[in-house]
Amino acid sequence: MNTIKVTGLKKYFRVYKRKEGLIPTINSLFHRKYSEVKAVDGISFSIREGELVGFIGPNGAGKTTTLKCLSGLLYHSSGIVEVLGYIPFERKADFLKKISLVMGQKNQLWWDLPAVESFRLNKEIYELSEDVYRKNLDELTGLLDVGSLINQPVRQLSLGQRMKMELIAALIHHPKVLFLDEPTIGLDIVMQKKMRDFIGNYNKKYKATILLTSHYMADVKELCRRVIIINKGKLIYDGSLESLSQKYSFHKIITVHFYSDAPENKLKNLGEIKLIEGSKAVLKVDKEKAKNVTVQLLEKNKVRDLTVEEPELEDIISFVFEGKSV
Amino acid sequence: MFKYFYVTKNYLAEYFAYRLNFLLWRVRVIVSVLISYFLWSAIYGNRNQIFNYTKNQMLTYIVLLTFINGIVLATQTQRIAEEINQGTLSNFLIRPMDYFAFNLFRDLADKSINTFFAVIEIVLIILLLKPGFIVQSDPIFLILFIFSLFLSVILYFIISILISFIGFWSREYWAPRFIFFIIIAFMAGTYFPLDIVPQPVYSLIEFLPFTYLVFFPLKIYLGNILLSQILKGFLITLFWIFFLYLFARLVWKKGLKIYTAEGK
Repeated sequence: MNTIKVTGLKKYFRVYKRKEGLIPTINSLFHRKYSEVKAVDGISFSIREGELVGFIGPNGAGKTTTLKCLSGLLYHSSGIVEVLGYIPFERKADFLKKISLVMGQKNQLWWDLPAVESFRLNKEIYELSEDVYRKNLDELTGLLDVGSLINQPVRQLSLGQRMKMELIAALIHHPKVLFLDEPTIGLDIVMQKKMRDFIGNYNKKYKATILLTSHYMADVKELCRRVIIINKGKLIYDGSLESLSQKYSFHKIITVHFYSDAPENKLKNLGEIKLIEGSKAVLKVDKEKAKNVTVQLLEKNKVRDLTVEEPELEDIISFVFEGKSV
Repeated sequence: MFKYFYVTKNYLAEYFAYRLNFLLWRVRVIVSVLISYFLWSAIYGNRNQIFNYTKNQMLTYIVLLTFINGIVLATQTQRIAEEINQGTLSNFLIRPMDYFAFNLFRDLADKSINTFFAVIEIVLIILLLKPGFIVQSDPIFLILFIFSLFLSVILYFIISILISFIGFWSREYWAPRFIFFIIIAFMAGTYFPLDIVPQPVYSLIEFLPFTYLVFFPLKIYLGNILLSQILKGFLITLFWIFFLYLFARLVWKKGLKIYTAEGK
């Protein structure tokens, strides 16, 4: 069963073009020029129940717009969107009770009140019984390790603590489908890790379907087996993370430690030198040549240590973003 | 319905985080009422009757404006336009709640706290200035007064929400609201009873919704109005409520279609 089904989704925005200067500004009072921005331009995909999918793309690719269409905030220009069998834009109460959208840069919490007041309000809005509310709240506060912070006014919390509260508010009704828009933005490494672990656990424990956007590849690498990549409103990759790296990594990275200084002249002929530092050298070589180069390095030099690695996911992704090939 | 009472409760709690703001707002209301009060006191001087109003009726009218301000005109609906433009409307759309009901209960917080203070202020004004304050003792007029207040609250709510919906189409939503304030000031009777304007003008604005926000309920309280006029007023108010509500729902639906959930 597909939880999310998107076919030919398009969302065009009409934007008003402003010109500089006084006369053009006065002119524009009478003749407004609009232009169309194709934020999402005909993308299709489907996601099964319980899947955790990474949704990536450069800034302005249309990720957030897609999430907003999926959660019913935006009326899409054309195409078919179905989530849990509902049409999101109709915003039926039964549908809204089963989903949640968390945006790292938006908040729903009452700034001047303790977070628990916002949770209470959500309890009423989602019509949870006292028992269910207590149980969910205890569990979430435990998992996220926030304890008594929920009784402090939100404005006194740190960014990381606030983000945790946002998550609790968004998950208090145990949504079946979760849209996470950069949930780790602005958090430190430790907090990012905690957030990731939490998301992973939530996915497994409740078989929740999660669509996650992030600019941190660590998030994606650790959480998602499948990724959907979009750029300029169009879908450019949909598949497993593994085959993405195989498909797009034409290189391997070889790191060598010599006993003496790295022989720059010799290395030049073997591949592209990324770094030379004393006895250490990092080489980027074609995938097919990697084996040969390794053999040559080992045979003709005194090598203390040698590792062969796949390129970083970041490199692959930026390669795909630039649209070199598909 | 209980879920929306929690909205009221939280917004009330929020007030206490901004006590000074609220205090100053009350000062503004009192000063504006006192200005009208002393102005009319001076105009009457030693006379007892101007237009159709005795001095006591006029001063009662002015003093009760504080109360009407609290119960009818206190609102948070101007925030809607801001919420639309900054995209925070999304926070409400994503949850299973009716935005109209949400706003009504948000306003309830505003109205209850403002009314509470207005009553205290009125008592103080009466004690300090000792105007010949008229207490309506006829239960019929009191019941009709309460009913008309109820209608005024609904009517004002819908008009105000409609003006905020301009936010869907334009970022410049303050100009229309400003015009609205001026219209209210002139046509609703927040400075003087409306029937002191020339008859042709009055018979025209009688058919507009604005008179029914402030002037009409106060007139019922004072009791110098015929029952047939009250009935006519109720019918006109109900017509506007019905018509504007349908219109607001339609505008809301259209607005959501072009809502851009911006701010990111």
